Amino acid sequence: MALRMLCILADHLKRFQCQTMEEPSKFEQYVYKNASVYHYMKISLVLENGNKYITDAQFKQLIICGLKDLYGEVGASFPFDLLKFDENELTGILRVNNSGLVKLWSALTLLGSYQNEACAFRVTQVSPFLLALSGNSRELRFGDQLICRAQVALRG
Amino acid sequence: MSPELEKCPRSLLVCEKSNFLNEKSRHDIHVSKHNFNYKISVLVPECGILPANVSSVIHSFSPYYLVRDLPVYQLLEEPFLESLVKKGNFYALSYNTKIDEDNAIALLSSGQLILSLDKDTYEQLGLEGRPSLYNHKKAMRFVVTLDLTDKSLTPGTKRYQRVLSSLKDRLPLRYDFLFTKYNTGSDEDHTLNKLLSQYSYEEHKPAFSHHTLKNIPCPTLYPSDIQGKTLSCDPHHFLEWLGAVNLDISCENAADSFLSTYVCPEPQSSVSQALLCTVTGFISPENVFVLLQELRQYFDEPKFTPWISLTVHGFMDSPVSWGATEHGFLKSGENFYNFVCFKNQDYWLHMATGAQDGCPP
Repeated sequence: MALRMLCILADHLKRFQCQTMEEPSKFEQYVYKNASVYHYMKISLVLENGNKYITDAQFKQLIICGLKDLYGEVGASFPFDLLKFDENELTGILRVNNSGLVKLWSALTLLGSYQNEACAFRVTQVSPFLLALSGNSRELRFGDQLICRAQVALRG
Repeated sequence: MSPELEKCPRSLLVCEKSNFLNEKSRHDIHVSKHNFNYKISVLVPECGILPANVSSVIHSFSPYYLVRDLPVYQLLEEPFLESLVKKGNFYALSYNTKIDEDNAIALLSSGQLILSLDKDTYEQLGLEGRPSLYNHKKAMRFVVTLDLTDKSLTPGTKRYQRVLSSLKDRLPLRYDFLFTKYNTGSDEDHTLNKLLSQYSYEEHKPAFSHHTLKNIPCPTLYPSDIQGKTLSCDPHHFLEWLGAVNLDISCENAADSFLSTYVCPEPQSSVSQALLCTVTGFISPENVFVLLQELRQYFDEPKFTPWISLTVHGFMDSPVSWGATEHGFLKSGENFYNFVCFKNQDYWLHMATGAQDGCPP
């Protein structure tokens, strides 16, 4: 009996959901200002003597050390995520709370050495939207290779 | 710690919900007003192969041209003016000019020529303009807007002669340009090619790529709940997830992981496959609109997925974002929009801009 009631209820719920899916929506508009909690940074590490083998954990630890050097233990005690790391290119995508953006960026700017070797962080792109990091028009470059790749991509 | 350290640039996100079949729906206006489009990204959950109609639309996108070292005054001369500018559907944007450092030139389909100039160039050129909305303490950037379809700028008038002589003789500006024209009929196919034959130019087709993602977590979206209060996830988390998918970022991390704690937003479900395809280049809004119309037809046949997504990124260095609203680059120059299309022809439209931008319409 209880099972039968549950089945009837589930059926009603499904139909209700279908109905809410099918009815066209009324117009609504919402404007969010500074509602994004995080900022995202696309960065790359440039080493003076060429690329070394660095793991993702070492990369993140390097940034944490840079933060601690500049702001101390307490000042550097905010979390940030290394969302993605490319160990061939030494590029990464970071996610940080808005309140930590300036500290993180300044620490990256002033970080000058890794294992006694001169290095520099290049900040390629910063945005409050992660989606914006996937469409950077400043990367649009032209050359013979690009034309050929575009033509091959279309033929294929 | 100083509160100044915790400030960050402002951002705006406009979320609009409506239905494509609604007479008052403004989706066509929003698409057509976003003049300069760099990248389109389509995500179709529960799909492994790109539908043939979508593929054919993408392959029929108009080509775009990179014209090297074009003098700006040529855009005002009669050949360009009569055969391209006044007929509409023609877009031009200076290439490799950074809006926060250099001069940037843009020509909209409406015939407006926008020149975003630094102080020295503006003073030397001597054309009437206004200070940029995003100057700091001193006015270092100025915007000159010329409506080339206006009667006062018809060839032969005094104002036309003055503008032409400023750009030709007083300060000859020359830049690399990206051109594109949406062809409405076959007769117009060769006009642009003929005009460009006297310059150094390259023709390009937008670069297309696609791949299938396997076994990914996917947010649940219900058309009625755009704010993400109960049935859907909220817009910022959804856009973050879309960014993660586009950038191939893992969405399955433990909460105590050292590297990343990013996870797919709730509510979510797992999908066995999803198709992600991207088109990159200098894409006209008309092409985007045609693609949107095709994507709407995806649900003409029953499909597993309740929604598909279309994201369009604007140019970071364009002097305008939507319409003639001034656009700048502070820490970033994002101006993108995202459509989520549902089975019942409902849609969500998210429009995002950065610090130096007007509110999207």
